[in-house]
Amino acid sequence: MGREQQVQPVDRRRFLKLAITAPILAGAAASLAPLLRFLKPNVERLKLYAPTSRDVAEGEAKVVATLSEVANPWDSKYFVFTQKYPQYTPEGFTAANVPGVVIRLPFKITLPVEWAKSIGKTPQVTESDVIVFSRICPHLGCIFNYVSNWREVTAGYGGYVPPQARQHALMACPCHLSIYDPADRQVPGRVLSGPAPRPPRTFLFEVRGQDIFVTDVEPGGIA
Amino acid sequence: MNDQPFPTLADLWERLRDWVRERRQHLDVFDETLVARQDNPIYLMGPMLYYFWLITVITGFLLMIWYEPTTTGAYTSIERIQHEVGAFSLPWLGGRGIALTMGGLIRGLHKYGGDALITVIFLRLWRMYFLGEYKKPGELSWMLAFLGLILAMISGITGYLLIWNQRAFWAAKVVLTVPLYFDQLPLIGGLGFGAMIAYVFLGGPAVGQATITRFYAIHFGISLVLLILVEVFFARTRRARLNMSWLPAVLFTAMLVVISIVLPAESGRRADPTRTPLPILSDWYFLALYQYVKYTPPLWAGLGPGLLIGFGMLVPFLDRSKGRRPLERPFFFVAGALAIVYFLIFTALIMFNIAVITREPPLIMVITFVILLGGLLWEVRYRRRQRAAPPAAAPARATTAA
Repeated sequence: MGREQQVQPVDRRRFLKLAITAPILAGAAASLAPLLRFLKPNVERLKLYAPTSRDVAEGEAKVVATLSEVANPWDSKYFVFTQKYPQYTPEGFTAANVPGVVIRLPFKITLPVEWAKSIGKTPQVTESDVIVFSRICPHLGCIFNYVSNWREVTAGYGGYVPPQARQHALMACPCHLSIYDPADRQVPGRVLSGPAPRPPRTFLFEVRGQDIFVTDVEPGGIA
Repeated sequence: MNDQPFPTLADLWERLRDWVRERRQHLDVFDETLVARQDNPIYLMGPMLYYFWLITVITGFLLMIWYEPTTTGAYTSIERIQHEVGAFSLPWLGGRGIALTMGGLIRGLHKYGGDALITVIFLRLWRMYFLGEYKKPGELSWMLAFLGLILAMISGITGYLLIWNQRAFWAAKVVLTVPLYFDQLPLIGGLGFGAMIAYVFLGGPAVGQATITRFYAIHFGISLVLLILVEVFFARTRRARLNMSWLPAVLFTAMLVVISIVLPAESGRRADPTRTPLPILSDWYFLALYQYVKYTPPLWAGLGPGLLIGFGMLVPFLDRSKGRRPLERPFFFVAGALAIVYFLIFTALIMFNIAVITREPPLIMVITFVILLGGLLWEVRYRRRQRAAPPAAAPARATTAA
């Protein structure tokens, strides 16, 4: 309104301002990568793409159950699998627990173990009536329960009534009421109800004599 | 005005600076310019905010003397603060007298002071929303108030974890699993920044010692930095810091002390990473959000609140209506009222652990859609009437129609 109207070429002051600002901004930008490495020391230098590739956990293989403990259909046993995670403290690593459940199904199914390739393992058991799930809910990380009576699921986990064919033991999460069917023939752990985006993660296991020996758990989520 | 058809970058910069300069003159961080209206309690929200904040900061510092930020020691140290540190008794109170601890009292003041702080921020935001205070030149005040709510909530959840009880542990885990789903977004998802956000807050891919350390730093840092900024603001504008007479200040302090004695702050149970409590709850101001998370696919658990925050920050620019009274801008009145109703209903639903997730989400979607559509129709009708009736019909509001 009251400002001068002459069309001016870039004057000296503006040019100098620009000449000073550009390197300052560039310097600020250049300090971003080290700042990220300050917050997350295991990011590789200048590798801002896929910054979480080095956060892989290592598990300790262990016997989690014997075959006689889960002898009958719908028998189950809880266990805790210990994994070591990188942690951004001066100590470097921390152990975190992955709770799991071993379930005996009334029939054999193909186990969902295609993920084993991504960690460079070959699954020993691919078809079985024993299945081992991680109990960390694939939705938001709560620990879900194996509920042997489906009526309890209906009563305590949001009123879901399973269809006739699925009226058996189910798995259900107390946090956000996701419900899983451990015995679905196509997709073991299929999400029957609730916000979960995928079936629970599974364990790789071997059977050594009478022992069910768990070696790895599918990566992903927060322990 | 320039001769050029398009404004240059320098012009835009200039315009932005003018915009900010004008808003800054009318900036109200704690309603300092509304002191004259404090006979009405809704204008007491600003000074109350500052007052409760100071109480929280001071008691927080006192708690730091005894608190131990480790996974093994945190819960024990809280228990000790609550039950042992600075024990004394009031023999003349309540017939047989009551035993108290200074630690418990200070922790109560910290907890209830924080709750009061969030309550006051909420109430103040609703006042600003429904009275149209976010309109020119109040945009910046509104945005700061809204940012304050977000920071207070972050402060709340980071502080809550420090107790290291069941509720805190699972709240932290659930909240920080949400950003992992950002990696499912198209285009930016592949970069892995969702997981990075979560891991930077957690200090690793699991909730552990690094998480406590980082949350402790954030919890303390937010208030520290803001306090310095506010102090700079007061020093520059030469406004009074606490625009409140002593009577409400004494009343509120007494209220906090009484609550801390009658209803000592809870510690819950020690965190157990292998057992999720049923139902899982959080601080009261997150409960509605928890119910929402039950209803939606997990990507929307993060995007929904994000959109809500975006809407909140941009409301001053979205609302182009002329009037300031609630009924003079029907759509935004309806949207705001709907938000309050949902906040209350969702909070009630999760507290009574009611959620039929096959039935409720579509129902809620339909209700929301119908009500918002109704608000829109109301707005259209109202504007048409305004245009039809000449402004002379309402001389008191002649200024609204220019």
